[in-house]
Amino acid sequence: MSSLLSNISRGSALFLAVIAMSYALPAGYDKVFGKQVGNPLLFFSPLLEQFIYRESLGGHRFNYQREDGKQYDRAGFESQLPFLYYKNLEKKKQLPVTVAGESYGKAVIKASKQGLDIKSRHLDGHHQQIGLYPLFNTDPEVAIMPFPEDVFRFTDQGMEFINADHNRIDGDLTTRFTKALQAKGFVFPATVIGGKTTNLKPFDEGYFVRDASGVIFHIKRILDAPHVVRTGVDPTLDVQDIVVSENRRREFYGTIVTRTGELFLISYDDYQLIPLPVEQYQPDRMDFKLLINPVHTTAVISEAKRVHGVAMDTAYQKKHSFTVERRDPVAQGVRIARDILLPFQLTLEGPYRGHADLQIQPGSGWSFVGIATAVACYIFMARRNTVWGKLSTMNLLGVIFGGWFGCIALLFLGRR
Amino acid sequence: MFVSILLKEWLKLRWFFFASLVLNFAVCIKIFFDIRQRMHTEHAEMVWYQAIHIHAVLYQDIRFLPLLAGLVLAVAQFVPEMLGRRFRLSLHLPMGRDGMLSLCLLGGVSLYLLIAMVDLASIYWMLSYYFPVEVAGSSLSTMAPWLFAGLIAYFGGVTVLLETSWPRRAFLLLIFAVLLSILFQGVGYGWFTPSLGWLAALLPLAMLCVFESGRRFQQGGTR
Repeated sequence: MSSLLSNISRGSALFLAVIAMSYALPAGYDKVFGKQVGNPLLFFSPLLEQFIYRESLGGHRFNYQREDGKQYDRAGFESQLPFLYYKNLEKKKQLPVTVAGESYGKAVIKASKQGLDIKSRHLDGHHQQIGLYPLFNTDPEVAIMPFPEDVFRFTDQGMEFINADHNRIDGDLTTRFTKALQAKGFVFPATVIGGKTTNLKPFDEGYFVRDASGVIFHIKRILDAPHVVRTGVDPTLDVQDIVVSENRRREFYGTIVTRTGELFLISYDDYQLIPLPVEQYQPDRMDFKLLINPVHTTAVISEAKRVHGVAMDTAYQKKHSFTVERRDPVAQGVRIARDILLPFQLTLEGPYRGHADLQIQPGSGWSFVGIATAVACYIFMARRNTVWGKLSTMNLLGVIFGGWFGCIALLFLGRR
Repeated sequence: MFVSILLKEWLKLRWFFFASLVLNFAVCIKIFFDIRQRMHTEHAEMVWYQAIHIHAVLYQDIRFLPLLAGLVLAVAQFVPEMLGRRFRLSLHLPMGRDGMLSLCLLGGVSLYLLIAMVDLASIYWMLSYYFPVEVAGSSLSTMAPWLFAGLIAYFGGVTVLLETSWPRRAFLLLIFAVLLSILFQGVGYGWFTPSLGWLAALLPLAMLCVFESGRRFQQGGTR
């Protein structure tokens, strides 16, 4: 019995050692030998009618290139994107700029621009978020947007407001909003709540809330009174999140993201959905960006190995698409050595989650070479009865599953 | 015999336990007054906004105290035993080595859990006084990895102290240090929530490590 516990104890120590090394050693290796470069910046040039991008080569060196391979210097790159760098053109007194025979001045460019950024890590379910939200009280005669003294939550029974000064439920406000929602046929509880919780925005559009039956409601608070609209958005949509984006253009309220990767803009004022032609998008592992200028809309979808661009006309019809492969600045020899020496890596976080995302990331096929070498090395040394301990099933399993991590652990913990 | 051994552990640990308990409770009180002051100087809704949407963790000050408590208990319990290898005397009592070690661990873990409960209950209560229940509830999953760290520090401390070989001791120290560093990763509330089950699995593994060190201690480092 005691011997069994001793073996289990030693196995636990070996296992913990492999876990700890698989976390610390790859991170240390990458710190010493790794190089990180930023995402390629991909834009659609209205002058060239093709994509143009900037990719980092590491060490503050950049490659500016358009999709057919022609390269630019920085100034040349910026000159192909007049709507993005219009302030430079203004300084050079080169505004208005002519694109496709039309002339665009500063005021028009400024009024027509809009950006929308949807990071996977910010989507519902991809980060920890307490379900309490401030509902701004819109007063048409007041310019500033003060923070409300309460937050709301959705329960199975209603929309509940809690006063922050007293940390108590505001019964009056709760009743008014719950009744207003019930009058529009809202089925409690809410399943998706989308809204911008900051007052750093030009105006407030409140929240888009999906009820238990899938219907999406638009909820605002105007002069402390509920303003509820039952939208006609298809209730069968498998909505993951609703990203509200208040912008003075007032073309759309925000974006609906479905779990299957569909993206819809919710248009003013009739809540009609505008589908975006982004077939590649997967909200679980991709970030999305929408850039709108007077003549085009560009969707940029970033994933681990590549960046996709889709150019659309002003009616969101696809015109052109292009994909850039991300450059890996780490030398191939360094990558192979990493895979041989460090067969897998324990990671705690990833780029597409705002909370811990514990994963064991296996190396490439070279890792098997590393493991085989480690096993051979262990058997050779164990047969000679050196510091790696006796040739035992437990030790062998430690090396088969842990590769060199297992060997290092046995070096210290192998002998009884 | 069981009661006598537990009494022996209590006599060794009591002052260190009370000191840790007082320190933890004092920091909880400080956190309470910090939050109260914040509520009085800023608008309450802004403090709520920071706590809910900016992910400000208002009880950060307590972060490393469970780790400290675990280490203090391990050191207080086993350093006197290791001086002059006094623990050998305990191993001559009419009880198996592993049973004896288990009772020692039971004594240390019970006291640690009392400290952890005080931390959890104090923080939960003070948050539920000033914030909605959701904010108070999120403190449990936020503090869980810190409390796990205290237990792993305790088991790791005992394992390292019982170990007789210096290279092995240094290696185990490094391993436990890395495991502890994992538990302090992340920002904001509930960062580890999706992975708490995996982190909890480290606890029995860390506890089991003690017994091999105990065997090696009894057998002088070799079989």
